[in-house]
Amino acid sequence: MLSFPATPILPLASLEVGHHFYWQIGNLKVHGQVFLVSWFVIALLVLASVLATRNIQRIPSGIQNLMEYALDFVRELAKNQLGEKEFRPWVPFIGTLFLFIFVSNWSGALIPWKLIKLPEGELAAPTNDINTTVALALLVSLAYFYAGFRKKGLGYFAKYVQPTPVLLPIAILEDFTKPLSLSFRLFGNILADELVVAVLVLLVPLFVPLPVMLLGLFTSAIQALVFATLAGAYIHEALEGHGEEEHH
Amino acid sequence: MFDFDATLPLMAVQFLLLVVVLNAVFYKPLTKAIEDRNDYIRRNQVEAQERLSKAENLAKQYEDELADTRRQSQALIAAAQADAQKVVATKIAEAQEQARLQREQAQRELDQQKQEAMSALEREVDSLSHQILGKLLGSQV
Repeated sequence: MLSFPATPILPLASLEVGHHFYWQIGNLKVHGQVFLVSWFVIALLVLASVLATRNIQRIPSGIQNLMEYALDFVRELAKNQLGEKEFRPWVPFIGTLFLFIFVSNWSGALIPWKLIKLPEGELAAPTNDINTTVALALLVSLAYFYAGFRKKGLGYFAKYVQPTPVLLPIAILEDFTKPLSLSFRLFGNILADELVVAVLVLLVPLFVPLPVMLLGLFTSAIQALVFATLAGAYIHEALEGHGEEEHH
Repeated sequence: MFDFDATLPLMAVQFLLLVVVLNAVFYKPLTKAIEDRNDYIRRNQVEAQERLSKAENLAKQYEDELADTRRQSQALIAAAQADAQKVVATKIAEAQEQARLQREQAQRELDQQKQEAMSALEREVDSLSHQILGKLLGSQV
C-alpha cells in the first residue's frame, strides 16, 4: 500500500510499510517478520521468567527482583482496574498483555533489527503490524465476554438494555468500537513512532532523531500501559454490569 | 498496511500460549513467593509483637515486685528501728532504775554509817564528858 522505497543516494535509512516477508503455510500466508520478532519477545519473556523463578529466594536479588517488580506492577494494574476481589484470576492475562506489548514495543525501538537483512520487508516491533494488535484486541473482547458470561450467565445481556433500551444500539456498537479502538490505537502509535523516527533518520541521520526516539520509548511504554489498563477496565465493566449491582 | 491474513489467528493462539506458559513459569511461582514472604513477615511481626508485649509484662512485673520488696524492706527497717528504740528505752529505764537503787542503797549505808559514827561519837563524848566531869569535880561524884 504505502511505500517509500529507499533512494539510492541515502542508503542509511529507508521506509518500508506494507512490505511483508511472507511465509506460505499450506494455503495460508503469514507475515514472517512479525513472527520472528514476536518469537524473540516471547523467548525473552519466558527466559527472564525461568531465570527469575528457577531458584526462588526469600530475599530476592538480581533477575528475581526485577521480575517481582514487574509482577507487582501488573498486579497493581489489574487490582486498580478490577478491584481487590476479582483481580486475581485476571493477572496472567492482563499482565501478559502488558509485558508482551511493552517488550515488543521496546524491542522494536531499541534493537537495531535493520542489521538483519530479510529478503523482503523488515524486522520491527510485532505491534506495528495490524494483525498483532487486532489479535490482541479481539482476545480482550473474548476475555470480557467470557468474564461477563461466567459471572452472570445469560444475564450478562441485561447490561445492553440496562439503563434504558434506547441505548441498545450504542451498547452493541460499543462491543465493536472497543477492539477497534484498542487495536488501532496501539498499531497507529507504534507504526507512527517508527515512521517518524525513520523519516527523521532519512533527513538527518545523526543525533537529531535521538529525542524523538526517547519520546518513542515513552510512548511505547504508555501504549502498553494503556492497552493493559483498558483491557482491565473492560473486563471490570463486564463483571460489574451497569445498574443492578451494588455500587460502593 | 491493512492486509489481514493468517497472522492474526496464529498470533492470538501464540499469545494465549504465552499466557499459559507465563502463568506456569512466572505468575504462579512468583505470586506464591511474594505471598509466602508476606506471610513470613506477618508471622514474624506478630511473634515479635507477642515477645515484646511479654517482655514488657515481665518488666512491669519485676518493677512491681521490686517496689513491693522495697516497701517491705522499708517496713522491716522501720520495725527494726522501733524495736531497737524500745529496747534502748527499756534498757535505759532499767539502768536508771538500777542506778537509782544503787544510789539509794549507798545513801542508806551512808546514813547508817553516819548514825553509827554519830552514836559512837556521842558515846565517846559522854565518856569523855564523864571523865572531864570526874576530873573537874574529883571525888564529889
